[in-house]
Amino acid sequence: MSKTVKMPWVEKYRPKSLKEMALPTARVSGQRVKLDEELVDFIKSFFIERRRVNNENAKIREYNKIVIEKEQKEYLQIDVEKAAVLLEGPPGIGKTSIVYALANDLNMEVIETNASDTRTRATLEKKLKETTKSRGIMDFITESKEKLILIDEVDGIYGVQDRGAVPTIIELVQNTQFPIIMCSNEYKTSLQALYNKIRRFEVHPLPKREVLRIAHNILKNENITQLKEEDLELIIERNNGDLRGVINDIQGISQGKLEGDVKEFILSLRRDSLEEIFTLIRDLFHVNSLREARNLTDRSDVDYNFLYKWVNENLPTFIKTNRELVNAYENLSLADEIFGRIRINQYWGLLPYFFDLFAGGVALSRKETPEAKGFQRVVFPRYSTGSYFSVTGSQKDLVEKLNKKYEISQIDFIQNLLPFLKILCGSSRKQLKNISDWLELDAKQKKLLK
Amino acid sequence: MTEEIPIWRIKYYPKNLDQICGQTEIKKALKNIIHQKNFPHLLFIGVEGIGKTTLATLFSKEFLGTEFGANFKLVYANLPLNEEERKQARSEAYVSTSKVGSIAGRRITTPAFIQIKVKPFAQLKVLGASPFKILVVKNFETLGSNQQGFRRLMETYGSNCRMILITTKISSIIDPIVSRCQIFLIHRVKLEHFAKLMSDIANNESLELSDESIEILYKISEGRIFQAIDLLQLSSVSGNKIDKNVIYENAQRFQNDLVRNLLLISLKGDFPKSRELARKILSNYNYTIHELFKLILNEINKLPLSRYARSEMINLIAEADFRALNGRDSDIQISALLSKFCLFSQYL
Repeated sequence: MSKTVKMPWVEKYRPKSLKEMALPTARVSGQRVKLDEELVDFIKSFFIERRRVNNENAKIREYNKIVIEKEQKEYLQIDVEKAAVLLEGPPGIGKTSIVYALANDLNMEVIETNASDTRTRATLEKKLKETTKSRGIMDFITESKEKLILIDEVDGIYGVQDRGAVPTIIELVQNTQFPIIMCSNEYKTSLQALYNKIRRFEVHPLPKREVLRIAHNILKNENITQLKEEDLELIIERNNGDLRGVINDIQGISQGKLEGDVKEFILSLRRDSLEEIFTLIRDLFHVNSLREARNLTDRSDVDYNFLYKWVNENLPTFIKTNRELVNAYENLSLADEIFGRIRINQYWGLLPYFFDLFAGGVALSRKETPEAKGFQRVVFPRYSTGSYFSVTGSQKDLVEKLNKKYEISQIDFIQNLLPFLKILCGSSRKQLKNISDWLELDAKQKKLLK
Repeated sequence: MTEEIPIWRIKYYPKNLDQICGQTEIKKALKNIIHQKNFPHLLFIGVEGIGKTTLATLFSKEFLGTEFGANFKLVYANLPLNEEERKQARSEAYVSTSKVGSIAGRRITTPAFIQIKVKPFAQLKVLGASPFKILVVKNFETLGSNQQGFRRLMETYGSNCRMILITTKISSIIDPIVSRCQIFLIHRVKLEHFAKLMSDIANNESLELSDESIEILYKISEGRIFQAIDLLQLSSVSGNKIDKNVIYENAQRFQNDLVRNLLLISLKGDFPKSRELARKILSNYNYTIHELFKLILNEINKLPLSRYARSEMINLIAEADFRALNGRDSDIQISALLSKFCLFSQYL
């Protein structure tokens, strides 16, 4: 790899084979299993089954040709359980990597669909059915690679226009000509129909020492020596088993600056696994009618308590002119007021107004701003009433020192005492000296008071 | 204590219930409770900064005596859980199927806050000879719908753990909770008590503090003792003689020009920036939304605006303040006001 190519390390270090990969542990209904063996078995038994079914079907086809329609036999289908498996586990632990490594080992080609970008039944069908149902003529002539279908983020299918996504998937599984592996992040009741039919592997995060070993390998390979061991451990701890996150963080940190407060920087890194709400917010600002907006909010399982705060946070991203903003906020603030009244007086009958105002009213306020093209960054509501509170490391140290003399909670300190101390210490050096002597502060903490 | 404490509000923090300034009736009632050795759940209501928490803490201290450390806990309802606690809540939310009992395989739906911060304390048996534990929950109103979770908790563990709920907003507390508590309305301290405390401090610190200055202190701090003491200490930096000019001058420094900046930025029509600043002010200075609206109102009166513009803007503030009273998310209401200012700036 030349040095000029900026390739994400996650791709660069994606394992090529199951043998070289750190395999996460997996369980099937509580029983611990060896994931690699199980998957290889699954693929092999699938092809055996497929040959059997295809042979049977060929016979049936011949038979059907000569009998009248009434006596025709049904075609056989591959057992659903033998056609697909589901890998379930937190993000970034290597579910996708396993599939790719497996395909590589068995000399297969992976066809990947990401359920969150092909969400309608039509597109899902279009993309998958061609590949699953029919094999090209050339396939019989040339020795082409077998295919492996990977449906990533099955749980990303949420009930908007793709109400039919789960039936579609089940239908696909029933008619497939290729083995299907699905990945999902969490157990979802809406996918229960799927779970009943196929084998579900619960994949667990890698143990810390494995993650550490991989991280060390990468660091060695990239010739990075500045990253301290304790910082590395902090990164791993923060990512909580998410190997992809760890690798991304290491890359981010080592390609950025390594001097200064690395710790603070690590703490500031955070990845969201809230893809669903992101998509929802993006979709919401693209609707053209109240009905569409209502459909969106009705069918998502995102808590509305929470959703309208997201709308508030991301409004200025999608709506630019002040006139539109005023309209949007007029609706949103009224929605908020109505919601407040609902909560206080328990008038739940008012809820429809709340929905229409915060979703439709806001989204339809966009008249002048052109429809956003390309990717729009959706951000987490950083401010929510009462629960907005953050404390930096040095502030924490200061509170701890103060707590030896006088009991005070962090939040009290930040909100009530610290602003005063800053003013007081800013007004005279003597006061600063008194306080820092009393608390035995070091230079860094002293700086906080200035 | 031999060493001198440089922060006055800590130095003059009351050591016991008697030392608390004013609140004679409440103190009497609480003393009575201590005497009887029993009380129902309590609900303390009053505006911010008048000493509800101090009252609750010192009362618990006297009630529990030597076992105070083990049987008392103060939690903030508005403090978000940290990473570790959230992780713990998540892992505890699902009872493994390998566990024995009817609960195996179930999901626990208790809100994370209650699960992590409240339940373990309430469940644990009381230590020592105290009749029960005391749990103080601050800013109870911010729990929102999680208040429902407290209903069962207060009944189930009531005999083991009594709760003192502290709130500024009775309207946001659901009725079932209110009906389970004995309510204490806490008023701001009376001027006479306030004056006594201030002159005591002045004597102690050898300051010259006139009656007029005390009244001004009372007015500015609105009876909030911490704030008054802070202001007094700040004023004392420039000299021992404290007259009204010194106090006014220093009070200005608390109300820095951030609010003015906020108004100016929003009148330039920059919405994202003004929203950011408003959030900063609200979070850093712990103003309630209504206080912020009032500060903005003050600033508008100081700006050189036409009579029409001024009255229009005041109208907008009044509308926003009214909505915030009922609303649940103050950020939306302040954003709505700022967006209106941003648009309004085009017509100035």
